[in-house]
Amino acid sequence: MFDWGAPIRNLDLLMQGLVVTLQVATLSFVFAFALGLVGALARRSHFWPLRFVATVYVEVIRNTPVLLQIFVIFFGLPSVGIRFDAVTAGIIALSVNSGAYLTEIIRAGIQSISRGQIEAAIALGLTPAQIFGRVVFPQALRNIYPPVVNQFIMVLLGSSLLSAIAVPDLTGNALVVNSRTYRTVEVFTFVTLVYAGLTLTASGLLNLLGRLLFPRATAR
Amino acid sequence: MNWHVVWESRSVLLGGALVTLELSALAIGLGTTLGLLVALIRTARVPVLSQIARVYIEIFRGSPLLMQLFFVFFGLPYLGFDVSKLAAAVWALTLYSGAYIAEIIRAGIEAVPKGQKEAAYSLGLSPYEAMRYVVLPQTLTVALPPLIGFYIGLIKDTSLATIIGYRELIRESQSIIDRTARPLEVFTAVALIYFVICYPLSLLVTRLERRVPAR
Repeated sequence: MFDWGAPIRNLDLLMQGLVVTLQVATLSFVFAFALGLVGALARRSHFWPLRFVATVYVEVIRNTPVLLQIFVIFFGLPSVGIRFDAVTAGIIALSVNSGAYLTEIIRAGIQSISRGQIEAAIALGLTPAQIFGRVVFPQALRNIYPPVVNQFIMVLLGSSLLSAIAVPDLTGNALVVNSRTYRTVEVFTFVTLVYAGLTLTASGLLNLLGRLLFPRATAR
Repeated sequence: MNWHVVWESRSVLLGGALVTLELSALAIGLGTTLGLLVALIRTARVPVLSQIARVYIEIFRGSPLLMQLFFVFFGLPYLGFDVSKLAAAVWALTLYSGAYIAEIIRAGIEAVPKGQKEAAYSLGLSPYEAMRYVVLPQTLTVALPPLIGFYIGLIKDTSLATIIGYRELIRESQSIIDRTARPLEVFTAVALIYFVICYPLSLLVTRLERRVPAR
């Protein structure tokens, strides 16, 4: 009854999809992290309009579905003359979405740094930029490394939603293979296992990287 | 901007919002039941079942919800089972959330000091009574904030049902857009509806998190 050769025979298409998934997820995560850093600094700013904008951004994004955000950018913005292709729209949507979560994660990380660290850095004559770049941020990153890795996994899994706007990612190409072969269970089982293997590998590698980057963190 | 179209379609939008709430309630109820069951199997280290539970959690937390939804919606008919769009959405959301909720509850159970269970046993309580009246109530104080946080995610995730054509809030809004060609206004209204549902829960999580003593 089953033909497990179906996904294997279409491996090239599925692997092309996997590459798109990895590219889209990685790019989105890099942009999201930059956005999260800016957002976290804005939320801690002494200038209230900046704080307000950052708070509205975080709350609106975190309390609405990512699928809706994807649709707004891909189907909504063209009505006011802003047009993106599906991949670009997808990367923007995932970046903006994940950026809101990373804003809160990074903010918590910055908050976890004790006041004494900053006072010591001031006493040593470091400039504000040096204090942030060399004292606060590296320690904050160490403290928030696990949730940041988790956020990357979320982006990786969330990128599957881009198949809804016809991005040829792993999920999108799985649908193509499914409609070509009609081997639904075989194809989707295979692809589900590929995703599970991918997230296990990614979190394994990133945790290893964390141990190399922050050796003291594992000692605790 | 033409907000008139949104006002004219208000009954359709609110109908969609109700469907989204129904789907959310079903997914939360069934997902929590499944998650609790799996968490108990794992903490009690039931042989064989415990290993199956682990594999289940790894697969459903490690793959996208959309893939799981396709699996149920396209895969079950392929195996000869008839599933409606609603049933497919509820099944997929239940299986998906069960895996996450199991881990949240398990972490909560493990946060309860061992002495509590031992004290319950020495008072003559059965393992069931100790779990039901001593451990689980204390689990809730730790597990409730992440649990409600996950429920917020689940309410938002019911939007995926639109991809298999289930007529929830987003699908209804798309039919309005097809008719009126005003995507931004309609999507803004939809975003507002989701916000009104989710934001109070987000505030609740923040308040509960403050109340949990730091460990």
